[in-house]
Amino acid sequence: MTMPNTSSDLIAGLVQDLQPVRRMRRRNGVTAASAAVITAMACVLLVLGARPDLSAGTPNPLFLLTSGLFAVLAMASTWAVLEMARPYVGNHRDGWIWAATMAALLPASALLTFVIGWMHAETTRLDSDGLNCLSIGIGLGVLMAIALTLWLRRGAPVSPDRAGLLTGIAAGSTGIFAVALACPHDDIAHIGVWHGGAVVISAVIGRLVIPRLIKW
Amino acid sequence: MIADEATLARLAALAQQGDKQAYSALLTAAQAWLRRYFARRIVPHQLDDLVQDTLLSIHRKLSSYDPDRAFMPWLAAIARYRWVDQLRTTYKAAEVELDDQVSHDSDEESISARISLEQLFAVLPAAQVRAIELVKIEGRSVSEAAESTGQSESLIKVNIHRGLQRLSALIEKE
Repeated sequence: MTMPNTSSDLIAGLVQDLQPVRRMRRRNGVTAASAAVITAMACVLLVLGARPDLSAGTPNPLFLLTSGLFAVLAMASTWAVLEMARPYVGNHRDGWIWAATMAALLPASALLTFVIGWMHAETTRLDSDGLNCLSIGIGLGVLMAIALTLWLRRGAPVSPDRAGLLTGIAAGSTGIFAVALACPHDDIAHIGVWHGGAVVISAVIGRLVIPRLIKW
Repeated sequence: MIADEATLARLAALAQQGDKQAYSALLTAAQAWLRRYFARRIVPHQLDDLVQDTLLSIHRKLSSYDPDRAFMPWLAAIARYRWVDQLRTTYKAAEVELDDQVSHDSDEESISARISLEQLFAVLPAAQVRAIELVKIEGRSVSEAAESTGQSESLIKVNIHRGLQRLSALIEKE
């Protein structure tokens, strides 16, 4: 677009072009994000089926705890992304940091398990089918990534790098939360490495890819 | 003098509904505020371009304003984003004089202090602020900035890079 000579010309042109705009309402973003979560959960339950203890109605406490951590991380990061589309000097969106810190306890615990095992000359075995959890979790997270990226593109994110990182975290934690509904493993090594890894990899991909999609 | 916050918020809400008269008043007021906001923080001959870029951004992103919130912090966030973007993408080697005769309306002082560009600089290390001011705002060359500050040329470049990266992450901070 050729820039008009003066701001007055520009203003006249912009006023002439004005059309009513649909306000970005948070509830629309929440609806899109919820749809992504529900779709991911439905995919897992329909294709892979629920884990046995969940089907029996007696879920393992560790499953509840770890899934809860990923769910809180997904909610906190999604909420932050929804807010980032509507910029405002004075916004404080640091809640996701606490949620991420709590979730980071899972891979940290897994690492500690490996170290303790090594110190006692015991080998902590890491199952290889965790790769399925990792890849399916990342794949299902794409639904959330698409929903949030479209929301950000409509809005005016003023920190695209952080928005990309948080979108990746939201996508990864949503995807792995859904996968956990079918995953039969309850050991901290599996959850910390494979489930935590899905969030970390999604965060890195989000940080690298999404900023260029949402810059304005 | 710029209209008060409540008036601007009302004008913005009307503009979202397609009211052209309200939109014209809003953009005129925003333009006046932006000129003052950027005046000492950009190479003077780039001021018009930056103000116009920001007005275009307001036009494109009008739907992202929430009428339940104050208008000025939204405008300031957009303005800071465009300003950092401009600092990143432009480079001017010629020496320029900064205009120190910038007036401030007293009724705007409290909100200006909260959302000012200086507020962003306050959280940066002094060396990064000085490097950005000399090269990106006053338009001096890297070697001149190095001579003036006693930093090496590569350190000036590093400080600019790190400073702008930090500014970018702080746009919505008070």
